[in-house]
Amino acid sequence: MIWLTWRQHRRQALFTLAGLAALAALLVPTGLAMRNRFADLGGPECVRQLARSELTPGVVESCNRAFDQFSNQYGAFNLVGVLFLVLPLLVGLFWGAPLVAREVEQGTHRLVWTQGVSRRRWAAVKFGLVGAGAAVAAAGYGLGMSWWLAPLTQAERQGRFDVFFFDMQGLVPVGYTVLAVALGIFAGTLWPRMLPAMGATLAGFLALRVALVEFARPHYMAARTRTFPVESDSPMPHQAHGDWVLANGVRDADGTMVAANAQIACPPGATGPTGGRCGAELGLEPGAYNWQLYQPADRYWAFQYIETGIFVALAALLLLLAVRRIRRIA
Amino acid sequence: MDVVLETDQLGKRYGNRWALQDCSLRLPAGRIAALVGPNGAGKSTLLHLAVGLLRPDAGAVRVFGAAPYGNTSVLAEIGFVAQDTPLYRDFTAAELLTLGAKLNRRWDAALARNRLAELGIPPRKPVGQLSGGQRAQVALAIALAKRPRLLLLDEPVASLDPLARREFLQSLMGSVADAGTTVLLSSHLLADLERVCDYLIVLHASQARLIGAVEDLVAEHRQLVGPRHDGEPIAGVSAVVRASHTDRQSTLLVRTDGVVVDPNWTVREVSLEDVILGYLADGEARASHAEWEVPA
Repeated sequence: MIWLTWRQHRRQALFTLAGLAALAALLVPTGLAMRNRFADLGGPECVRQLARSELTPGVVESCNRAFDQFSNQYGAFNLVGVLFLVLPLLVGLFWGAPLVAREVEQGTHRLVWTQGVSRRRWAAVKFGLVGAGAAVAAAGYGLGMSWWLAPLTQAERQGRFDVFFFDMQGLVPVGYTVLAVALGIFAGTLWPRMLPAMGATLAGFLALRVALVEFARPHYMAARTRTFPVESDSPMPHQAHGDWVLANGVRDADGTMVAANAQIACPPGATGPTGGRCGAELGLEPGAYNWQLYQPADRYWAFQYIETGIFVALAALLLLLAVRRIRRIA
Repeated sequence: MDVVLETDQLGKRYGNRWALQDCSLRLPAGRIAALVGPNGAGKSTLLHLAVGLLRPDAGAVRVFGAAPYGNTSVLAEIGFVAQDTPLYRDFTAAELLTLGAKLNRRWDAALARNRLAELGIPPRKPVGQLSGGQRAQVALAIALAKRPRLLLLDEPVASLDPLARREFLQSLMGSVADAGTTVLLSSHLLADLERVCDYLIVLHASQARLIGAVEDLVAEHRQLVGPRHDGEPIAGVSAVVRASHTDRQSTLLVRTDGVVVDPNWTVREVSLEDVILGYLADGEARASHAEWEVPA
């Protein structure tokens, strides 16, 4: 069975390896260049300073300037990174969907399932090896991306926790890839034709991903709130801190939201353009404060584990259902 | 008498249509049996049930006394060649033999290699580039190398030209004769099988209509020609299979249980093909005129 699996999938495996090699050929030189430039601009020192809770205005200003300079040069790479979000889907489409669908479409399931090996064993070996291969490739990809993306995320003043950045790196690509493969296999048992199976994989994967990011991920752990005054000596908490801000706004002294999706900070005693108090144009009363709902940066890995776990569990469920379906295909 | 394949009121349903219903038959060991019936009669369904690809919805099927569904010990005794002889088209013939060797506990590699060498089949060419006849031979070699006690072939020659058909059937017979393998091969064309089979199963409209040794079946059936017949019993006739009438004369295909001595009837011997066609013409649905909304 292992020989057969290798013989049937060696071309996909080689294509995937070639793809990963090409990716490495692109990422390693650009990654090194970005790191050098980031270090030249004093990026790592800025990140350390900004992570402190006590910020001095000068540091923020000079660091922002350095970050802007870096972003102007390398910001386009963020788009490249977003393109990589489709890679797990591609693996699902070209590794997962044909696994059962092509056998049934070409009738070869009647050849291989009537040799001396049970269908359950066939499924166990094929699903296991293909899934493991995809997972290994995805792990390599995820770790490489974590390394490559680090200066970009920091310079964009985004945490690696933010949507897209979170999805591109670390452990979650493994979860996405394994799920995409399992979804492809399962779709192939429901619609044993290549194109419908691939279409169902595409639709199912996108729906699941969007649903989890939108509705589930913010609630993996109870979010924390943070408040800070409108008028203050110290600047606002810097976003390079790495927290994932789910919602923010300005609230009145009694806690009602005055301005959603806004934060205000003024030096003490500053006046607005019309000469009123800071924020008076917005109708802010004295005692108003800034409010943030956020997931702290140090939960990054916990969230990575939780999301990967959810996707791997879903994948296991789908594979189980696929094994049950296979017993009914003739 | 050893029974290799036995079905008991076997039924298989797809949605609410029965592909096979109430099918009871026994296939004795050592026979070369033809499974004959029009397209859609349930031949493939019966073979898939026998090889354990399908689970029965009604009744039971037993191969060597055991239910074949999900049973790899039965599977090891069966060689199966599916319709259109499916093979991995990017595999070479040699790789397909490796596949067989890896997936079967009992595997006669020498037998398969010798067969394919004798037939002049190139070992290192993807089988997708071989002719239909050569592919069928590769599929047969894989099935035979399992050294099966029962060989099931689903329309093995349907896609072959007449010369390739004859060669395929000849080489099949050559290899099963010595081993005493029981063979069940399906076809919608009797002509393919008449020369090689000594046992017959006729499937029609999802049911087994006629089962028996070819020579017995030919001996038991007679064509009677005589005065117009309205269903009264005839001495020596157990059943009227098919009747056609003119104003004054009737022509009957009958199954006999003795000698027909009634001088009113002219008795003629029949060929195997006459017998099968007699059973297949029976019960033909005439619903399509209504479905097409035209007068019958």
